[in-house]
Amino acid sequence: MKLFTNTSEFDYPWERVTAANWNKYPNEVSTHVIAVDVLKREVKDNGNVLVTERLITVQQGVPRWIMTLIGCKDNKSYVREISTINLRERSLKMRSCNLSYVNILRVFESVDYIPDPVAPHEKTIFKQEARITAYGTFSRICDSMEEFSIKRFCDNAQKGKIGFEKVLKMFNDTTDEISTTIVNKYNETVDDIKRYNMFQDIERKCTILSDYYDIFNDAFARS
Amino acid sequence: MGNIMSSSFAPECTELKQVYDECFNKWYSEEFLKGRGENERNPCLKQWQLYSQCVALHITKDKDLKESLDQARLEAPFESGGELINNKDNKK
Repeated sequence: MKLFTNTSEFDYPWERVTAANWNKYPNEVSTHVIAVDVLKREVKDNGNVLVTERLITVQQGVPRWIMTLIGCKDNKSYVREISTINLRERSLKMRSCNLSYVNILRVFESVDYIPDPVAPHEKTIFKQEARITAYGTFSRICDSMEEFSIKRFCDNAQKGKIGFEKVLKMFNDTTDEISTTIVNKYNETVDDIKRYNMFQDIERKCTILSDYYDIFNDAFARS
Repeated sequence: MGNIMSSSFAPECTELKQVYDECFNKWYSEEFLKGRGENERNPCLKQWQLYSQCVALHITKDKDLKESLDQARLEAPFESGGELINNKDNKK
């Protein structure tokens, strides 16, 4: 089991962050999230607590030839998420786990949004933790598999932060002038990501096995 | 807000989802966050029923998804806020 943790801060009050959280996707940075569905929702504790179960549909970019080679229909995978918003505590907890490829890899993610203790009405702290476990008979590769997942998780966490910042801004600003600034800012961050990807391409040869390991393993399991 | 709203995993439900989301987002900001979440009347009930029926139907059609969802609901129930009910690894 590998543990990944990440903390960051948003310059928006907690209430606004939680409202924007429902509209986090789609955003142009985290394009791997293609659909979000609400499965169950309950208001509890005299209207102070809202619990929501969601199904997140993810599509990672896997080359078509690999899909054809292994006879996969599509490269969609699912994540189930339970979020709990507590108005009295001013807390938003999100607990999620992958539903697909669970016999190969398990990612249990916890996200907490809480007001910054120093500036509770201006800033929100974001804490993220992921427990990643690789299973299967290929126990020797499991270690590198877990390492790889951490890497992808870091990439997606970074993207998630940039994407969410953008949504928060859209939520906040309405004037055209500010929108232009956002577009420019956004283009800059996209350029940063592209540059980052270039470095990743250099490492491609080393990681290609683990990159598509889950797909291959899934194909073997089916045959 | 001018925000683009997300799709449903089942394209047939996307329109119903967006109608529901629009209602929910309004309710969340204007009612829930102001501590009026438990008003006698849920303004989005009708939209919710139509959307959730659609989603439930399409989940039933996908056997793999249905099974993995049922399993996840046992391991990390809605009632426990999605926390794993036993920390022990119960897989293999």
